[in-house]
Amino acid sequence: MAKLMGPEESNKFGVSFAKKLGADEAILITVISNERMARFANSSVTVTKNVSESGQVVYLAKGGRRIIGSSSNPEKASLERFIELLYKSMMSLPKDAGYVPLPSQGRAYRPKATHDRKLESAEGLLAGYVQEAIASAESAGARRTAGSLEAGVTTHHIMSSTGTVGSDTSSEILLNIRAFTDKDASGHGLSCAASVRGFDPEMAGTRAGYHSKKMRNARQLAGEEKAYQVLMSPTVAANLLGLVGEFASAFSIEAGTSYLVGKLGKKVASEDLDLTDRGKGDGCLDSRTFDDEGQPTQSTKLIEKGVLKRYLHNLSTAKRFKTKSTGNAGLIEPGPWNLEIGAGDSTYDEMVKELRHGLILTSNWYTRFKNYRTGEFSTVPRDGTYLVESGKVKAPIKGIRISDSLERMFSSIRLLSKEREWVQWWEVDTPTLCPWVLVDGVTVTKAYGDSPSQGS
Amino acid sequence: MLREEYKDLADLCVREARRLGAEYAEARIHGGTGTGFLLKNGEPQPSMLEDSFGIAARVVVGGAMGFSATNLLSRERVKDMTARTIKMTKSTSRLVKEPIAMGDSKLVKRKVWVAEMEPVAGADPNWLKSLLLEVDGRVAKLGSGANGVKIPNRIMAASAGVEEKYVVTSDGGKVESRVPRFNFFAILTALKGGDAAQRTIQQGETGGLEIVKRIRLLELVEAEAQTLAEVLKEAEKAPTGIMDVVLSPELSGIAAHESVGHPQEADRILGREGAQAGESYLTKDSLGTKVGSKEANVSDDPTIPHSNGYSPVDDEGVAAKKRRLIVDGKITEFLQNRATSSLLKVRNNGASRSSGFDREPIIRMSNTFVEPGDYATTEELIKEVKDGIYLKSFTEWNIDDKRLNQRYTGLEAYRIKNGETTNLVRAPILEITTPALWGSVKGRSKRLEFEAANCGKGDPMQGIPVWTGGPDTLLSGVRIVGGG
Repeated sequence: MAKLMGPEESNKFGVSFAKKLGADEAILITVISNERMARFANSSVTVTKNVSESGQVVYLAKGGRRIIGSSSNPEKASLERFIELLYKSMMSLPKDAGYVPLPSQGRAYRPKATHDRKLESAEGLLAGYVQEAIASAESAGARRTAGSLEAGVTTHHIMSSTGTVGSDTSSEILLNIRAFTDKDASGHGLSCAASVRGFDPEMAGTRAGYHSKKMRNARQLAGEEKAYQVLMSPTVAANLLGLVGEFASAFSIEAGTSYLVGKLGKKVASEDLDLTDRGKGDGCLDSRTFDDEGQPTQSTKLIEKGVLKRYLHNLSTAKRFKTKSTGNAGLIEPGPWNLEIGAGDSTYDEMVKELRHGLILTSNWYTRFKNYRTGEFSTVPRDGTYLVESGKVKAPIKGIRISDSLERMFSSIRLLSKEREWVQWWEVDTPTLCPWVLVDGVTVTKAYGDSPSQGS
Repeated sequence: MLREEYKDLADLCVREARRLGAEYAEARIHGGTGTGFLLKNGEPQPSMLEDSFGIAARVVVGGAMGFSATNLLSRERVKDMTARTIKMTKSTSRLVKEPIAMGDSKLVKRKVWVAEMEPVAGADPNWLKSLLLEVDGRVAKLGSGANGVKIPNRIMAASAGVEEKYVVTSDGGKVESRVPRFNFFAILTALKGGDAAQRTIQQGETGGLEIVKRIRLLELVEAEAQTLAEVLKEAEKAPTGIMDVVLSPELSGIAAHESVGHPQEADRILGREGAQAGESYLTKDSLGTKVGSKEANVSDDPTIPHSNGYSPVDDEGVAAKKRRLIVDGKITEFLQNRATSSLLKVRNNGASRSSGFDREPIIRMSNTFVEPGDYATTEELIKEVKDGIYLKSFTEWNIDDKRLNQRYTGLEAYRIKNGETTNLVRAPILEITTPALWGSVKGRSKRLEFEAANCGKGDPMQGIPVWTGGPDTLLSGVRIVGGG
């Protein structure tokens, strides 16, 4: 077996070899990650996992041509062969209209030890946290639980032919737990943080257990399609508002897969809504100091008082939009790092009292779009879902669907809570700091099971 | 490329795991090479090349399961990883209330080699770029605005590559596979005044570059663009209420996948995916339960040649077979892996797959479809409908996590009057429970067609290639809502 190179050696070799081949520009990013996970179902651990990976992303440019490669083999000879293949493939292509040269002056990013070292070897911690979460859910009423706990540390090492060099390490711990009391009664809780300091498995378990108990004997809503006031938990609001990060990517704008096309400087939400993308900072789970083009990440206000202020850019899209990169590369597609929804001034209890004819949603899944350009979508609430009449919780509800458009919903935001929570899980890719959000006039539908020949 | 020395590492991993006390051990070298190309509004984006291999180890120790993976492929690393996996698994065995056993499934020693008439290695970036530019050119011409409709936004991606695996288990399974694939994906956005319509197209098969001609990719995408423009230009408001609905193969397929395939995955039924992907409206005692009419017949078949979900041997070394999920309206079989079939004391039908070396194998669908019926043609089936809708393609869809409450929004959809399709209608919505949908099946045509898809499940998420398909399927007396 050949010798495996370390990340800095690999980057240095890759950049120098690409230059030797004749590349005008080269970026090597080596990502080292170590993730541990414990999954459980029926309150029993089903599997523990440990995945250690080292991957290289290689960007080459020559005479206005560009190419990107991704390799997982840190052997010198393999990387050499891979870069040769990339270079040869690139030279067979015509010039790329989207090519923008890297800034001539590179940057040095000094590694800062801001991640939680406890998460570097978390096996012992995971077992304890799983036990704590399950016990909390059961104390709150759960009969059984299912979930996953994941902890990991990721380091990005970058080097470019223009002199950019540096590394950046982030850590995160994520718990997602679901509690059940019967087939139709479930609750969901999650906790995610960049360090064990902000991580709370007891809260997540208790919340899941509480809703699983409250959801017993859930019923269908009467009647057909109707508009309701909807109070969305941070988990639900982060799923929908978090999509703005993707829709605000200049790539989505150019591709026509965004309802924000042509809306820059226009009102796209209630004036109570502020939404910011943050590369790094307190609590950020996916903390990055530099992007994939070696540009510094920053804080970018996307929506301010309901007005769309910026799209997210890399160097290439920024040139076409006659603006500056926002430090959100993606070599092809700029994207968000961490999203922060501005806090409001309401408490949860005050928001519930505002509901005349409303629903409280604590979790959702399977958000799909009829049309990305118009933002029309539907999503399926699950776990704790409650009907509220005149400010009072009346009954747990099952079998509903939200069918609306993002712009209409965000324009009808009436209240946001003071308290916010970080959300990241299966349905929320981009870590999002999010409050409870009250929206007026949301269209709620349900499935019909009225086939005359059913069971025949 | 899957090297011999990598296979030695997998064998070493299994030996080491057994030596260190594992009751069961399995190692998988898994990876591949491929090339992708993307066009945005006709403009080439940087090409992408991928070369990735790694090793996965899965062990059972004291009834607990452990999984580790790395792409650092050296003897020292693999030995170290194996030892750590055993230690990690032992340390969590006290948290296992339901001990895991892999059972005695019939294992195979086999090589799976998918033939290529035109090797995918020929799909260099330039070849893919030229193909996409040709497809895009046809769409752009159609959407030039001459008929009042523009298609200014076109995302098109194509990729070709080879997936290779070597799976070895401590109880005798040994499988080596090499599966080439070609995939195409597009999102087309058509505009007319302030109105917009969008179509997502996905095509994928196993085999060589001959796939491009076999599926008539250029003509297919051109026809889709033509239809999209017509929908925007001509579709009228859809009727609502109770009516007969004919589902095309595309709609039959997505319904089969979402509301039959998923709820019949045994790991969901047993609760293992409860936290994210969800559970099932069915229980382990649901075999033999009636969930549909006599005409409801749904299968999953991993052995279909060229199929996107082709996997004749699974990632646990078990030979896969066609699974009859619903026969004459009754549930007859669940999708199984070694652990679930052992627990449920049924025959293992080999449905365990993983998306890469860094993911554990879990129960997955392959090619899930409504079985074809007796009606010779689509037209003959439509003749049965006095007043209804033919749903030919869909946009938005979703379903709850127990797989009971689903929604499909039509894109290309026609009003049926007196047994014939008439005008296009705009975005009719079928929002229906699973028993109501399958209980209303009244007839099926003979034609069987498939669509490619990526199915998501697992934690961490695993996207896996599948086909969904079926014939035209007549639903009697179901409710159509929305439309506009």
